[in-house]
Amino acid sequence: MIGVSIDSKFSHKAWMESPRAKGGIGGLTIPLLADLNKTMSRDYGVLLEGPGIALRGTFFIDGDGVVQAEAVNNTAIGRDGDDILRTLLAAQESKKGVVCPMNWKKGRDAINPKEAAKYFEKNAK
Amino acid sequence: MASLVGQKAPAFKLDACLKGEFKQVSLEDYKGKWLVVAFYPLDFTFV
Repeated sequence: MIGVSIDSKFSHKAWMESPRAKGGIGGLTIPLLADLNKTMSRDYGVLLEGPGIALRGTFFIDGDGVVQAEAVNNTAIGRDGDDILRTLLAAQESKKGVVCPMNWKKGRDAINPKEAAKYFEKNAK
Repeated sequence: MASLVGQKAPAFKLDACLKGEFKQVSLEDYKGKWLVVAFYPLDFTFV
């Protein structure tokens, strides 16, 4: 996982060295990228051209470099870690040729499109 | 804005900070691995 904003790497460093109780994110273990020229934010379609900052866009990219899922929140709507993890696990599961239905969670059955009837017989309430 | 789902992720190579060190991070670095990219508005705001 990586974080991206239009701040400089120096700002990122200062933020990463600030304690959480002071609004920092001390102890963060993922890299924060400095999109100073805003090209990456624009390329991913999350740049607000007026204020020049990015929306809270989340992109799930597979090992071939293909985007498998995306979610974009307005600036005032924070993300949910469990939701990000669930989407990542479902995206990974989908690579096995199965379909992850609504409310799928890791460990639950996914649907094999060739044997969908079996899934419904077993899981219908 | 059109969705990027199903398309190649736009390439990037940017300066980054990780655990106090400066380095460059690119999409290429994650070839063969899953990557979650999280954009946010600004440092020192509420995440």
